[in-house]
Amino acid sequence: MDFKKDFPIFQHRPQLIYLDNAATSQKPLVVLDAEKDYYERLNSNIHRSAHFLAEEATIAYEETRQTVADFIGTEKKHEIVFTRNATEGINLVARSYGDACLQESDEVLLSKMEHHSNIVPWLQLKERKGVNVRYLDIDENGQFVFDSSQITSKTKFVSLTGMSNILGSIPDLKPIIAAAHAKGAKILIDACQLAVHSPINVQELDADFLVFSAHKMYGPTGVGVLYGKEELLKKMPPFLGGGEMIQEVFEDRFTPNDIPQKFEAGTPNISGVVTFKAAIDYIGKIGFDKIRSIEQELTEYTLNKLSALPYLKLIGPKTTDNRSSVISFAMEGIHPHDIAEGLSQKNICIRAGHHCGQILMDTWGLPATARISLAFYNTKDDIEQAVHALEEVYKYFH
Amino acid sequence: MDIYAQNILDRYKKPFYKDKKLDASIRHKEANHSCGDVVEVDLQMQGDKVTAYSFSGNGCAISMASADMLGDLATGLTKKEILKLTKEEIYKMLGIEISVRRSKCALLSLLALQNALIDESRH
Repeated sequence: MDFKKDFPIFQHRPQLIYLDNAATSQKPLVVLDAEKDYYERLNSNIHRSAHFLAEEATIAYEETRQTVADFIGTEKKHEIVFTRNATEGINLVARSYGDACLQESDEVLLSKMEHHSNIVPWLQLKERKGVNVRYLDIDENGQFVFDSSQITSKTKFVSLTGMSNILGSIPDLKPIIAAAHAKGAKILIDACQLAVHSPINVQELDADFLVFSAHKMYGPTGVGVLYGKEELLKKMPPFLGGGEMIQEVFEDRFTPNDIPQKFEAGTPNISGVVTFKAAIDYIGKIGFDKIRSIEQELTEYTLNKLSALPYLKLIGPKTTDNRSSVISFAMEGIHPHDIAEGLSQKNICIRAGHHCGQILMDTWGLPATARISLAFYNTKDDIEQAVHALEEVYKYFH
Repeated sequence: MDIYAQNILDRYKKPFYKDKKLDASIRHKEANHSCGDVVEVDLQMQGDKVTAYSFSGNGCAISMASADMLGDLATGLTKKEILKLTKEEIYKMLGIEISVRRSKCALLSLLALQNALIDESRH
């Protein structure tokens, strides 16, 4: 089935081969229409004015909150906080929970394949509070090297990715979550890459916090989701101050609003949040079973094609087990930027660089990698053209 | 496929100034972390004038060709002349169109060269 027809960019740019979906996905027409429709029919500020239009806009905004709650399997929609992106969600937790609940010498446990957005907020907390930041090692399949002894009584917070943006690996989180909870530590899952490829159930996972971004899952830029367990969100102090997050303001003090509004200061990205519902509904209409089966087939096809090139080295898992459709590689004697430049000349978009994962790159001695990341709308023909272009790039430099 | 102009490819594949192991009096390294490019510039000076240039490092074809071609440009120039070099002069030296996304690659070696001389004047 041709899913590209759902995405107008492929009609405007028929030659485009877009293999940079881990950076951001393309947007289907239903999402673009939803945004236009919001501004044409509903535009008003939410949660404030007493008029009918504000009420309708508020209802639409809150409908997305319910849709997101259903999407990740929580029954409490007030456990969903809208942010700008996953990065802001992690910063919110590090600032609010971290500052209030962590003390000097407490340990925050991360892994060496975290995105910078799940490292820097904790290093900033280290600067403010003197916490220790420790990293789990990664094996060659992109799995955490973990046993329960790595979580000690000092470990108060664990923050890990649900899927690597460099290796494409999907690590097994359950034993780590169980071990963290056994020692009373809280755990945040960075689901920024995972959420578009796999169903998530926060109750089954028993995650304390979980974050993701709308723009990587066919939705608009500028909208992120922070899920947090009710009892944690309730005891956390506000992050940003301003309108909406307060109940009352006096000259010398304020009382914060209830959750989730306590964490949504100022006018949010209303059109983006309303539009995000259309993206989740679009995913739901196709279904994760179908999305996953297409993406697994495309991943296997890509891995086989790339493995057949003797001068190309795959970085990360070599099979489709415990992974999704993000594939990093290096080519003998050719810098990843030159690979990306060559492909760009053929209208093929891939990513080259350290992918905001400098710690993993340094650990594995890689200056940079090239990365293909697939969505279900990609085709085998896209991959064949990319592989053909890679062969041409190799010939050009040798 | 014709990714870069021939002069860029030639200087990338067969650099003239790379890894000359000068008995350098000045040495300075710059990195373009997001790309993974690194250039270290080694200079010999006589008074205010650059008399020998070498570089080491790794990176994309544009960053490496630019670092090599900069040797032709910089040798014989005074510190003052080098500090006045602009990005436009580097683009002219390369002789190809440099897109916004590749400007950091093209200019990394100039940054290393100029900072080498700025560092040196602080001592």
